[in-house]
Amino acid sequence: MNATRQIYWNIQGHIAIYPLFLVAIVIFAYGFYLKYRLWHVGQPVDRNDRKGARAKSLIGFVLGHTRILRRRQPGIMHFLIFWGMVCLFLGTIVVALQSDVGLQIMHGPFYLYFMSLILNIAGLAVLLGLLIALYRRYIKPAEGLDNQPDDAVILILLLVIILTGFLTQGLRIAATHDPWAAWSPVGNLFARLFAGLGAATQSEVHRALWWSHLFLALGLIAYLPYSKLIHIGTAPLNIYFRSLEPNGALTRLDLEDEDLETFGAAKLTDLTWKDLMDTDACVRCGRCQNNCPAYLTGKPLSPKALIQDLKLQVHQQGKLILAARKTAAHPTTGEHETAAGSELDAGLDEQNLVGTVLSEDALWSCTTCRACMEQCPVFVEHVPKTIEMRRNQVLMESDFPAELNGAFKGMENNGNPWGLGWAKRAEWADDLGVKVVATDGAPEYLYWVGCAGSFDNRNRKVSAAMVQIMRAAGIDFAILGTEEKCCGDSARRLGNEYLYQSLAEANIETLNGYGIKKIITQCPHCFNTLKNEYPQFGGNFEVIHHSAFIAQLIAAGRLPLQAKLNGTITYHDSCYLGRYNAIYQPPRQVIEALGLKLIEMPRSQRESFCCGAGGGRMWLEENLGERINMQRTEEALSTNASCIGTACPFCLTMLEDGTKRKDVAENIKTLDLAELVQQAIQSAQ
Amino acid sequence: MRIVVCMKQTFDTEAKIALTADGLIDSTGVTLVVDPYSEFAVEKGIQFKEKFGGEVVIVCIGDTQAETAIRQCMAMGADRAVIVTDPAMDGSDQSATARVLAKAVISQEPDIILGGFKSVDSGSAQVMLRLAEILNLPHVNVVTNIEIGEGKAIATRELDDGVELVEVSLPAIFTAQQGLAEPRYPSVKGIMQAKKKELKRLTLADLDIDPTSVGPANAKVKIHGLTLPAPRKGGRIIGGEIPEATADLVKALRDEAKVI
Ligand SMILES: Cc1cc2nc3c(=O)[nH]c(=O)nc-3n(C[C@H](O)[C@H](O)[C@H](O)COP(=O)(O)OP(=O)(O)OC[C@H]3O[C@@H](n4cnc5c(N)ncnc54)[C@H](O)[C@@H]3O)c2cc1C
Ligand code: SF4
Ligand code: SF4
Repeated sequence: MNATRQIYWNIQGHIAIYPLFLVAIVIFAYGFYLKYRLWHVGQPVDRNDRKGARAKSLIGFVLGHTRILRRRQPGIMHFLIFWGMVCLFLGTIVVALQSDVGLQIMHGPFYLYFMSLILNIAGLAVLLGLLIALYRRYIKPAEGLDNQPDDAVILILLLVIILTGFLTQGLRIAATHDPWAAWSPVGNLFARLFAGLGAATQSEVHRALWWSHLFLALGLIAYLPYSKLIHIGTAPLNIYFRSLEPNGALTRLDLEDEDLETFGAAKLTDLTWKDLMDTDACVRCGRCQNNCPAYLTGKPLSPKALIQDLKLQVHQQGKLILAARKTAAHPTTGEHETAAGSELDAGLDEQNLVGTVLSEDALWSCTTCRACMEQCPVFVEHVPKTIEMRRNQVLMESDFPAELNGAFKGMENNGNPWGLGWAKRAEWADDLGVKVVATDGAPEYLYWVGCAGSFDNRNRKVSAAMVQIMRAAGIDFAILGTEEKCCGDSARRLGNEYLYQSLAEANIETLNGYGIKKIITQCPHCFNTLKNEYPQFGGNFEVIHHSAFIAQLIAAGRLPLQAKLNGTITYHDSCYLGRYNAIYQPPRQVIEALGLKLIEMPRSQRESFCCGAGGGRMWLEENLGERINMQRTEEALSTNASCIGTACPFCLTMLEDGTKRKDVAENIKTLDLAELVQQAIQSAQ
Repeated sequence: MRIVVCMKQTFDTEAKIALTADGLIDSTGVTLVVDPYSEFAVEKGIQFKEKFGGEVVIVCIGDTQAETAIRQCMAMGADRAVIVTDPAMDGSDQSATARVLAKAVISQEPDIILGGFKSVDSGSAQVMLRLAEILNLPHVNVVTNIEIGEGKAIATRELDDGVELVEVSLPAIFTAQQGLAEPRYPSVKGIMQAKKKELKRLTLADLDIDPTSVGPANAKVKIHGLTLPAPRKGGRIIGGEIPEATADLVKALRDEAKVI
């Protein structure tokens, strides 16, 4: 006997599905089009290059759920609903193909395995996913979620659609005494409920449920773009159009462009369409906020709120902007409208992003740690928005926390944020006899010391350790000495693109002038900008962070590490080394080679918690909320390791400061990797 | 209201000072900045303009390098500038600077003249007072606040142990002490606009000043020699119990440092 079932059993006029479907699709398309128009009040940006890589993102992040599954419970929840719905949707198409296109496919094993068994499992999966969702929202509210009516509507709608599906199937099985019922175990279970009903009732209830199921499903499609479910469309789009630039590269502003009326983003229309589309991809999952050091220490910044508040602006302001543009395009369509248009225009001018989307305090609270972007399942780009707003505040309004005045002037006049005399930049090396490029010629490796390594007493020790390590390994290296200037990382991330470019250009001129090819840095901030951003200005170097360099030297057997260090250590991943440049393993390899026992903090690697100094926060007071470095120090201390390892001068400063405030600095040392290696070399020698 | 600000370009305060072989200050490679005291004055001038309208004119004696400092002031918001550049000014003292400034300043018909009470480099605190004498204008020195009234102003003048409120009629000269105004950081918009602002370049001849009346030969103050301060010695921590340590400290202050 050929396994199959009668399609549209008990249903007359099923053909009405198609016009109804068309109506749903039109409502859907219109809603989507409205959103599309709103996004395009933003600036153009090309996000359609490298199509292959983009398609690959879709496979991994959408179909594979690789990011979504990083959080177990919500990940599984989404996986079940997503793949369940995909299967059910495919099943519906198969039915249409069989009944109305005439393809004979709903037979035999395919019918039994896919159309019956798998679809039953799919329905069950969705049901399970929905129950997890309901639990997370209403029974035991999960961190970072906020409940809006839309959330409930969607969950209940889906729940009813799945249930009516199973009920209809159950009724059909019961009424037709389906011989293949065992292949639809869930439907079969429901069938038992109706076994006692008379045939007429069965058929009547079935019809009613069938049509309700249909209307609800079509209603869902139509409702989609008007609800959070728009993410079914926008999330894949957002992932496809995500930035493929290096994580650590901010966009270059063309400061020479005389046509530009404004730099950075003052208003909605200064952001790109992708920035605006981000807001309709955001599903309010709260993952960004749950990982944000500013938010978690009680500062007035939440990356989730930033995106949601921006969304509100897109929807409110965006409509006004479109209306105003329309009136401007047809100025003769009656006095009344024109008047309204100019009124709108006048009103629009007042809406600055800073103040509506983000308060000033929030704007300057961001450490650009990238935890938000690293976690966001739909690749919303928070940091670039913040930077664009900072750029506008600094470059156009000259409105920023007063402490920065000194840091900016210091970088400008003396090439370092402390404003210490530039002539003293190489004093740390005075007694070490380090070669200087200007007098000793270009080396194989330029050792880029950075401002902290040059001027900060604590970090000068790290520089000295680096010198000793490179000497022990027989590396041909030299420094720029007083010719080195601040790399500009802080300036750029504080929005001072003008200052950044002047520093970057001066450094690149010096480096290129000496024909430098390979650069070693000990600061992840220098590393990141030299590696990922200097190419924007004609500086193309092979840049190596000291952690990776030392790991290579050890692996190649070039460092005499006979003596092992004993003890335990916890390693703090710097944001600009880890999340920005994916250097997680080399520091750990070094620690292992040294014979130290590594105890990881609860939040490490991708999830590492910022020290509080990134994004130029090093040069700002931290007056709001708890101190970020204290929270991180406490986390480090919770491992009971006898040492805190870092690979960044800012992290070193922040965490050591934390241990001092906790009065444990005597016992728990905070050390740079280079200093640990130095100890091992010294005890070996 | 026309506000004239006398602005000098100086060494960066962090500059490493060295002497040349013939005992003069070596300026090679030194970062030059707007004299911080002049900068307070510039900021105050711009604040006045923003409040009362009018324009801010920078007047500067200096070489072509000083034009960078002028553009900086313009980026902050000054409207135009006059710079007096003349080789004859080389090695001039404060009296000559004041005489030249007087001509340049008065040609602008100012309502208010602002400057620093001293410059951070040579710091003689003479130029602005001499300027006031030459122009026969009232002046208030070392001010931390200025309130403008109808044809007059009340300035807060810092004294060793208090403040003095001084009322003067305008035009008048005020010299800035730290605290008068916090200099703003120029926006890029400002920097771009500054490039296009008017900068008038004058020589001594343009001001009807005889070049032979200035320069080292006419200096009222002659510098006989310059020496660098002795390098700072590292501090010493006096340990031990408080009573003994205190005694040791007093002894060291009296016998070694000879300060008490
Ligand atoms: C290193 C150096 C090199 C110099 N070289 C030259 C040169 O080659 N040619 C040349 O013409 N001048 C030159 N000058 C300028 C001139 O010598 C000084 O301006 C003059 O000596 C002022 O004395 P002071 O700094 O003690 O003034 P102070 O009386 O301490 O200055 C107080 C205030 O007076 C005003 N003021 C002082 N000087 C000027 C000025 N120049 N322009 C506008 N306002 C001023 C400012 O408001 C300043 O804050 C040079 C100055 C320096 C520091
Ligand atoms: S970059 Fe870091 S500090 Fe800034 S919003 Fe994102 S998570 Fe928060
Ligand atoms: S921005 Fe991303 S991580 Fe944050 S709430 Fe929205 S979807 Fe979630």
